Amino acid sequence: MRYLTIPVVMLATAGLLLSAGPARAAGDIEAGKIKSYTCTGCHGIPGYNNVYPTYKVPKIGGQNYEYLVNAMKAYRAGERDHKTMDLQANSLSDRDIEDIAAYFASLGSD
Amino acid sequence: MNIRKKTSKLALIASMALIMPIAIYADGDPDAGKVKAQVCAACHGQDGHSIDPTYPNLAGQHESYLVKALADYRAQRRVNPIMGPMAANLSDQDIEDLAAWYAGQDGLKDLSIK
Repeated sequence: MRYLTIPVVMLATAGLLLSAGPARAAGDIEAGKIKSYTCTGCHGIPGYNNVYPTYKVPKIGGQNYEYLVNAMKAYRAGERDHKTMDLQANSLSDRDIEDIAAYFASLGSD
Repeated sequence: MNIRKKTSKLALIASMALIMPIAIYADGDPDAGKVKAQVCAACHGQDGHSIDPTYPNLAGQHESYLVKALADYRAQRRVNPIMGPMAANLSDQDIEDLAAWYAGQDGLKDLSIK
């Protein structure tokens, strides 16, 4: 019995480590739905145009989670340039970004 | 021809000139875009559903946004180590064809206001 204890403890530890989930936090869809209300002012109006230059505000419903997280962080870091998006992203924490991305990504699969 | 006819003709030409810039975005040929998109498919998938979640889905994206994004990559206004070189050699026509192809696929959605 004593000889079994060590492997069992090791296995249990490994199991705990694995079940702690992926290193990347997945984001909370429900929280993201509330936090993303502001976003709908532009991204929620079908065919809404950005002005100067004129192009349609991109669709983000069903976009990939990781891509959305990277995009918002890039705006926040000033690596991507768009006045409105820079300002919006500046007010977001990592947690906010993950929650919002999780919500948008969840709208896709059909 | 009286003055009034002349005026209305001028008005017609002027209004056509106003409409013309919009037509630039409609120039893309989705069939040509499909052929040109072969190289894009390695990351963005055959029909614009990406193979890895770090790459954006393009299927169903607005044509004018795709044109803008590719033009920004080409001009280095948007900097990305993968997309920069990809877009560097695209012509305006290539960009419009690719945008027309991906915009026509089924995928992304506007957020609906609830």
